[in-house]
Amino acid sequence: MRRRSRNGNTVIEAALFIPILVTLLVSIEQLGKLTYTYYSIKKALYTAGRYIGTQQGVNFCDAGDATVVAGLNFALTGTTDGSANPLITGLTPDMLLVSIERYNATDQSLGACDCSNTGCDTSTGGSAPDFVVVSIPDGYAMRPIIPFLTLDPILLKPQVKVPFTGT
Amino acid sequence: MGIKNPNKRGAVAMQLLVILVPVLFGFMGFALDLGRLYLIRGELNQAANAMALSAARQLIGTSASTDFATNAARLTINNANQNANKYNFGSLIVGDTTGFYASSVPDPSYFAVAADAMGSESSGGAADGTTAQYVQANITADAPLTFFALLKGAASRKTTVAARAVAGISAPLCTACGIENFAIAAIDATDLINFGLTPTTRYTFGYVCTGNPQPTPLTNTAQRLPYLLLDRYDTGSTFDESQQLFRIGGGGLPGNTVSTQACFRANNTEVVWVTAAPQACNSLSVAQSVRNMLCGVSSRLTTDTPGTCTGVTDIANLSTSYTVDTDTTDIDDYSTYAGTTRRVITVPIVDALSATGAMTVLGFRQFLAEATTGNTSNDPGDANGRFQALYIGSPVPLKQGRFDGGCQAQSGPGKVVLFQ
Repeated sequence: MRRRSRNGNTVIEAALFIPILVTLLVSIEQLGKLTYTYYSIKKALYTAGRYIGTQQGVNFCDAGDATVVAGLNFALTGTTDGSANPLITGLTPDMLLVSIERYNATDQSLGACDCSNTGCDTSTGGSAPDFVVVSIPDGYAMRPIIPFLTLDPILLKPQVKVPFTGT
Repeated sequence: MGIKNPNKRGAVAMQLLVILVPVLFGFMGFALDLGRLYLIRGELNQAANAMALSAARQLIGTSASTDFATNAARLTINNANQNANKYNFGSLIVGDTTGFYASSVPDPSYFAVAADAMGSESSGGAADGTTAQYVQANITADAPLTFFALLKGAASRKTTVAARAVAGISAPLCTACGIENFAIAAIDATDLINFGLTPTTRYTFGYVCTGNPQPTPLTNTAQRLPYLLLDRYDTGSTFDESQQLFRIGGGGLPGNTVSTQACFRANNTEVVWVTAAPQACNSLSVAQSVRNMLCGVSSRLTTDTPGTCTGVTDIANLSTSYTVDTDTTDIDDYSTYAGTTRRVITVPIVDALSATGAMTVLGFRQFLAEATTGNTSNDPGDANGRFQALYIGSPVPLKQGRFDGGCQAQSGPGKVVLFQ
């Protein structure tokens, strides 16, 4: 009798502990995955920024500019035409925003570069911007999958600013 | 073993739990806090890279260049448009000294030698603006600790993470992009450093003309350097020929996805711009194409549009695209120049000028365009296409270029590259 009750105790204890332990371990794993995903996206944005920031003849004022599209595809899939599988599931080029900034040496201010011939619209005679900013305005939604818990998706919104060193 | 009080089982579990909690927090610390520290290190590295790249663009061999470079580095962490580089999941601005988690971004340090810049200590071999070629950017930031903070030894709830990046000016480029298409002949082709030109000497650029007498150099200049405009006419552009020439004069070859349009390559052969053929010297005239080009050069020095520039289509609108250099003073000593490199022109040096045949590009050198003595600008209407320029060697990094071509240049302009 005594022996059986001891076994029963262990089993009950284990039954109580295991869900908590599993929840804890999975939470750790999911938070780690969150960090990993965030950094993967950030790295992809940096890659896109550096790729676009070293090209020639980029027209940032054209949403479908071939160089910008190629840069985003390259960062997200490793191929400029986007033919390979995405490196981060669910992250598509249309989620990324490439914006431009210019430093005004006269009044020493940093501002968004507008699409005009006095700004950065190269098709009407404007010149190149000074900085490229790549961001995800609406965020990349990642839902941590943890047993016994239902969580809202967490929006990851990394952004990267790199100097534009192309022409 | 043997007989035990069954109640003791729970007590053992409690003891185990008490012992396990610190261990568990330790492991959670490794899993989460350490993971976040790696993330933060990566984010800071990217921020440092951006700072170093941004700063290195400003290293143009003038005394003021390091100040400009430091300013440029700080622009990458300028949060005026909410676009600064941040860390810790984008929640903390790099360089924010307020708040619990602060980060310090000292002024970048500048070096003349790459080995010094990449050395472990940032003290040795610091260079001033005239010799600086490499920049080392450092960031030290507080990173939050959540689970480690529950353990003894990390009770401050934060630890510092450091990042460093080194950027600088590369080896001489063989393919130079975004430069100007004035070709001048090497005075001495065996001089691989300066092609027979004398640094910090004023020269008169004068368009090649045939017959005698040859035009005189402008006042205050050493000698006249005959030049030709090399052909980069872009048939695919929406701009007509006059506008294309104005744009090249105003800002160098415009960016183009077709590399041969935007760049010149050493050892390649080039021909003269078709409509800019030399005319007789005694006719006191140059082709309208040359004037259109010189109007562009003028836009670097003054906001006024000279009357002779009406030949450029829609000049009033196009000229607003070009800003004037912030330093347009007449200088003899390049190291005192404090402008935005707007009036630095990079020209291909060719073996010999030829208005009918091919010219071989030997390398690229830079000049500082200057206003004609007593004026605010060069005179695009000059009968012989003349303007003044100070030879400065090749200190200014090019916007874009490549090393292909196998030119093995000993000297010449480089571009900004990340070293570490």
